[in-house]
Amino acid sequence: MNLRVGDLACGRAGDKGDVLDLTLVARDAEAYRVLAGALTPQALRPVLNRVVPGPVQRHELPALLALKFVLPEALPGGVYATLRPGLHWQKAAIWLLLDLYIGQDGLHWVAPSDSSSGDCP
Amino acid sequence: MKVACRVGAGAGFAGDRIDPAVRLVGLGEIDAIALECLAERTLWPALKARAQDPASGYDPRLRRRLRPLLPPAHARGVRVISNLGQAHPEAAGQAIAELGRELGLTGLRVAAVVGDDVMTLRDRIRWVRSPEAGRLVGAHAYLGSDPMAQALAQSADVVVTGRVADSALFAAPARQALRADEQALAGALTVGHLLECSGQLTGGNYEPIGGAMLAAAGYAGLGFPWAEVYDDGTAEIRLPAGAPGVLNTQTCTLQLLYEVHDPARYATPDLVLDFSAIQFECLGPGRVRVSGARSKGRPPDLKVAGFLELPGWVADCEIGFAGTGAADRARRAADVLRLRLADWREQDVAIDVVGLDSILRAASPAAHVSPPEVRVHVSARCADLEAAQTVEDEVYALTLSGPAGGCSVRSERRARIEVLDGYIDHELVRPSLAWSRS
Repeated sequence: MNLRVGDLACGRAGDKGDVLDLTLVARDAEAYRVLAGALTPQALRPVLNRVVPGPVQRHELPALLALKFVLPEALPGGVYATLRPGLHWQKAAIWLLLDLYIGQDGLHWVAPSDSSSGDCP
Repeated sequence: MKVACRVGAGAGFAGDRIDPAVRLVGLGEIDAIALECLAERTLWPALKARAQDPASGYDPRLRRRLRPLLPPAHARGVRVISNLGQAHPEAAGQAIAELGRELGLTGLRVAAVVGDDVMTLRDRIRWVRSPEAGRLVGAHAYLGSDPMAQALAQSADVVVTGRVADSALFAAPARQALRADEQALAGALTVGHLLECSGQLTGGNYEPIGGAMLAAAGYAGLGFPWAEVYDDGTAEIRLPAGAPGVLNTQTCTLQLLYEVHDPARYATPDLVLDFSAIQFECLGPGRVRVSGARSKGRPPDLKVAGFLELPGWVADCEIGFAGTGAADRARRAADVLRLRLADWREQDVAIDVVGLDSILRAASPAAHVSPPEVRVHVSARCADLEAAQTVEDEVYALTLSGPAGGCSVRSERRARIEVLDGYIDHELVRPSLAWSRS
C-alpha cells in the first residue's frame, strides 16, 4: 500500500490570522475511510511540523466525505509576518496533505520509489 | 417554499475582477448582487488613507468597480450591497451618490452602514492576547445583517458598509422575505458563506482529483455564482447560464469548510452556524441544492479585528540564476548568504531557492530535471530601515562577489502588521444608517 492523498481527495487551504486550515474532500466513501484512518492528528503532527509549527486538530464530516484540519499556530503573526517569498504562500499549503503518501511505515512526502532519485542532478 | 431572493456574487476580495458582476446583472436573473471587497487585512491601508485625508478611507477602486455596474443594476432594479466603504462607509456612500449623478441615474438611494469602527470603545474590547509591543491603529467590529436589511427595507438601491461579516452581505437581501425563524436565517447566512469568495465556488482555486484544469479561457471568463434563496433558508446555487466554470458538490463542500475552524460552531454576528448536517445535492450541470444549515443561537459577542503595527520591516529579496547549472549556482549563493548573515537570529531570516523549495520547504517534491532558471530568496525581519538595506545590499553584492551570473534582482519591504482578534458586547455596538441620494 502506498497511496497518495491527492489521488483520493481534492482540497483547499485557508487562513485567518495565525490559523491555517486545510480541507480534504474524499472521492468516495472508501477513500474517506482510508483517509480518516491514516490522517489522524497524532500521525500528521510530526510530519507537518517539519514545515509548519504547532498542533493539528481534526473535524470529521463523513456525510460530506470531508475532513477538516485546523493548525492554530501554523502561521505565526499571520500573512504579513511571513518569511516566505511574497504574500499568501499558504494558498499552496494544501499540498502538504495532497502530496502525502500513506505507506505501511506511516506518512511521508516522497513515494518510496522516488527516494533513490534524490534531488535534482 | 417561496423564493426569498435571488442573489449574486459580484466580488470576493478588493482586487477581484469587475466584469463578472456586470455580466451576472446583465443576465436578468438576480434581484441583488453583493460584492465582498474587504478581506481581514484590507482595512489597514484604508485606515492609513483616512488618517492622511479625512475624506478618503473607502475602497480606491470604488468608482472603477461601480461605474459599469450601477447603470445595468439601476435599469433592472438589482440592489447592490458591498463593504467597499472600508474605513469610511459614509464617504463611500457620498461618492456612490456622486457617481450615480455623473452616470445620469437620478434618485439613487444609497445607504451607508456606520458604527463598525470601535476604536473609541477600545477599553471595552477583550483581546485574545495582549497587544504586546505593537501600536493599535484601528479596531473594527464585524456587524451582522440587521442594518443592511433595514436599509433595504427602506428602499435603498445601494448599501455600502465597512466591516461586516462577509456572509451577512449576501444574506441581507433575503432577510425581508425570509421566514422569521433562526433556521431560515442560518440557511441564508450559509448561502452567503458559500458565495462570499466568488469564483472559488465555481471552479477557481479548485483542482479535481486527477488534476484536470479548466481551459485558460474558462478561468479567464469564470462565471461568478448566484443563488436562489428560498424562504425556509434552503437554496439552489447556480453557475450563470453560458458562463464557464464548475459548480458541483465538491466545490461547494470545499467552500463550505473554507476558513471554518469548527464546522459545528461557525460564529457569525447574526448566529452561530452548525454545518454538520449540511447536504449538497447536484441537480444538474451548474446547479446544486443546499439544505440542512442549523442555528446554534445568537453569539454573545461581536468579533473585533484590531490592527497592530509592529516596529520594523520585513525585507523580501530575490536574485535569479539561469542557464546550465543554475540550481547549483543558486544553492551556492544561498550558502553564501547564510555565511554573510550568520550573525542574524535564525528565526528572523529565511533563505531558500524559489523554483525548488521556497514554499513547501521539506514537503517539496524532488526536482528530477535541473530547472533552467531559479531564484535565491531571502526574507528577514528587520528592526529598522538600515537593517533592511543591509539585507538588500547583501543580495545585490552577489552580482559582483557571488557565483557567476546573479541577475534580475528584486526586493520589497513590508510593514509589519498583525491582525489581533478580540470580542465586544453586542449592546455596545450601535450601527446606524447615513443616506445619500443622486
